[in-house]
Amino acid sequence: MQTLLRYFRLYFLIEAQYIKARMQYRADFIISSIGMFFTSLATLAVFWVLFQSIPNLAGWNFMEMVFIYAFYMIAISPMQILFDQVWWLRYDVQLGTFLKYYFRPLNMMFYYLSERFDLKGLTQLALGVVLLIYASIKLGIHWGPLNVLLLLAVLFGASLVLISIVTIASCSAFWITNSFPVLNLAWKLREFSPYPMSIFDGAFRFVFTFLLPIGFIAFFPAQLFLRPQEVSPLIYFTPLVGIGLFALTYWIWMLGVNQYTGTGS
Amino acid sequence: MTDLIHIDNLSKHFKILNRHQGMAGAIRDLFSTDFRTVKAVDGISFDIQPGEIVGYIGPNGAGKSTTIKMMTGILKPTEGTIQVNGHAPYSNRIRQAQIMGVVFGQRSQLWWDLPVIESFKILKEIYKVDKQTFDEHMGLFSRLVGLDKLYTQQVRTLSLGQRMLCDISASFLHNPQVVFLDEPTIGLDISIKAKIRSVIQELNRTRNTTIILTTHDLGDVEALCHRIIIIDKGRILYDGDIKKVNALFGAYRTLKLQIEDFNDSTLSVLQKKLDGKFGKKGGIAVASTEDFWTDVTIDQARTPLSDVLNFVMSNFPVYDVRIVEIAMENVVRKVYDGALG
Amino acid sequence: MKHVRTYWAILRGSMITGLVYRFGFIFTILGNVVYLFVAYFLWHSIYRNSTTLHGLTFNEAFIYVALGSTVFILLKTYAEWSISREINDGKIAVYLTKPLDYQLYWLANNLGFTVTNLVAITVPTVLLLIFVFKVSIPLGPGLLFFPLSLVMAFLISFNIDYAVGLAAFYTESTWGLSMTKEIIVTVLSGALLPLQFFPDAIQKVLLWLPFQTIYYTPLTMIAKPDQGWGVFISMIGVQFAWTVASFVLTRLFYVQAIKVLRVSGG
Repeated sequence: MQTLLRYFRLYFLIEAQYIKARMQYRADFIISSIGMFFTSLATLAVFWVLFQSIPNLAGWNFMEMVFIYAFYMIAISPMQILFDQVWWLRYDVQLGTFLKYYFRPLNMMFYYLSERFDLKGLTQLALGVVLLIYASIKLGIHWGPLNVLLLLAVLFGASLVLISIVTIASCSAFWITNSFPVLNLAWKLREFSPYPMSIFDGAFRFVFTFLLPIGFIAFFPAQLFLRPQEVSPLIYFTPLVGIGLFALTYWIWMLGVNQYTGTGS
Repeated sequence: MTDLIHIDNLSKHFKILNRHQGMAGAIRDLFSTDFRTVKAVDGISFDIQPGEIVGYIGPNGAGKSTTIKMMTGILKPTEGTIQVNGHAPYSNRIRQAQIMGVVFGQRSQLWWDLPVIESFKILKEIYKVDKQTFDEHMGLFSRLVGLDKLYTQQVRTLSLGQRMLCDISASFLHNPQVVFLDEPTIGLDISIKAKIRSVIQELNRTRNTTIILTTHDLGDVEALCHRIIIIDKGRILYDGDIKKVNALFGAYRTLKLQIEDFNDSTLSVLQKKLDGKFGKKGGIAVASTEDFWTDVTIDQARTPLSDVLNFVMSNFPVYDVRIVEIAMENVVRKVYDGALG
Repeated sequence: MKHVRTYWAILRGSMITGLVYRFGFIFTILGNVVYLFVAYFLWHSIYRNSTTLHGLTFNEAFIYVALGSTVFILLKTYAEWSISREINDGKIAVYLTKPLDYQLYWLANNLGFTVTNLVAITVPTVLLLIFVFKVSIPLGPGLLFFPLSLVMAFLISFNIDYAVGLAAFYTESTWGLSMTKEIIVTVLSGALLPLQFFPDAIQKVLLWLPFQTIYYTPLTMIAKPDQGWGVFISMIGVQFAWTVASFVLTRLFYVQAIKVLRVSGG
């Protein structure tokens, strides 16, 4: 417990300084936030264009898709804000700069992630919340305290699922150095998570539910609030799925860290 | 006294993919399983006492940094024993990191975008340094390197020399038992080098910290170490007093000259005149290694370099002069040739 | 033309580099295969209630989207990231001392990666389309224009990336700029959806922008090649005009941008 508190304190100390330093590049922050804003809305715009031609997608109407997409935006924000550093792992591994993370008496994953706090992810988070509220009103979803708790719990699990998939992909750098194509694949898979899983055939639904469980990032948990009566009870275990996957991720990270030898001699 | 570092018959082997040349080779490598084993460190043994400054040197690829990585707990040995402060370094990385400091010459470990003082404050938390020790050490660093004048500067705006001084200070902040310095003076000019050497010496003296220094600059070794370990091709060539090795590189200097109207007989004429002036036992050898440069190697123990320089300048039409220290590779070659017998 | 050998050497170098990271290569192919399946299911679902949408059959729309992702991999070389990094850390100075044209240097470099990917990605994609998804490949004059159109699409796409990279002379904030460019190009070029799906008013605007020449033009030639020659000739004409324009504009931009370096010393 004491260790946990110490790490929290350290994280705030480092990030507060980091944000202060980043604020010097104000133009970068503003343009990045605008870029993030457009990127987040682009998929939604494509959905909108698509729904001009079709009444529904596998039985889901446009506003329901907005809700699912808003859930998705919130669920992927922690990855963006807290885990953005994993995108740099391949450079650090390749250039040997990763070595420095071994030399401090700190948990290495924590130390590595503390290097970056991605402010522009907050844009995505805010946009997601606004859209979720908007879609809820349009769809007449009632939010009682229990529902809100359930929402927070499944969002937590969904975030961990995405974080795990991307971090594992990034960890492949320890073995193959250039992990970019693997990361890119993971990142692309993420984009499929708001699609209704019923459009896929059995084999793919199985893969996206059990092997590369992207269904848990958005569609399955969002369904809990749209059509609770159609949902398999399995979906209530989303938080556990997230925690389990993250444990696996941590194990793979440690494996990679232990076998990484650094380039050059 | 017990050894701070104990290494016995230590080896580290790597598997490396054999790559092939050209486009066809690149395609072949896609499917290749053709690995070879490289013995980066091949059965080395030594002990290091608390408070020592040891120069750990050797040419590129000799196995220096592989050894350092094993001492710092990054790499697990293939064979043999390694103990730092009584523990195998890789067994509990976090505990071992608390008693170590590490500086890599080319890469700062401070927070790039933050002001210097903030990096030290974060390190204070990371290493759980108490306030009294922190203030005491910051005072020491300010006295030694004027750290307080750099407090508000961002690390990335520091000059290479300032950054190195900050990095070295940072590595001593938590009062480690051993500090690893990897190329601390690389790319720096002579005056900063001297400054850094004196700071390292001072920190070693006041804190009795063990220091392991890897470097290509024999000047560092000469200025700082009493003991030197030379490694090549994964094996130890020499481990002992620096004075013996000093004779190989410390006393020798090479005077490089460009002499006008250089011709076939210049070398022999120069050698003859120098022998005539300083005697056959003057320890002076003339050779030509690159176009238009004449190398005069001088054993300073026998003949002062300045005398030779004056003599040559007043007797030959010299239009350019350089003085160079003997290179690491030459020292290693001499050790191979049995110079330390 | 005597410099061709220089740029060929650069191109060849980047092709070999692409092959060195062997696992990465396999994942790029795998990623595309997964995408093809997802796209197949998605479009199958879109066409559940209709045989044609906006004059496109499922077969045509799927070819468009499937090859769209392949072309996307070919054209997306991330040049803007490398160029802006080089400018920000001052490495560009090294190139300026060499007898190289900076734009052509990067063009050759990227073309190397693209050629490697062209073989490795396109072949499995086409095989998959024919044998797994049982797509019937339509024939028509459009196919004849496709190779030329693809080359021009590459050039226009590269020049846009190059311009974004050069913007690093003025600002360190290239992340936001690259990201914004990325999304504008992807959505407005018809990379994700054929332009026919957009509402009429938007479609008219998009046809006046350069982006549609990057994806919509070459993809239409291969997905719906059985149209009149005139249609394709006018498409190629527009694309050619944009290719020339993109070179002229980036050249002018470079001359301006390099002044910043000369004045401020980078």
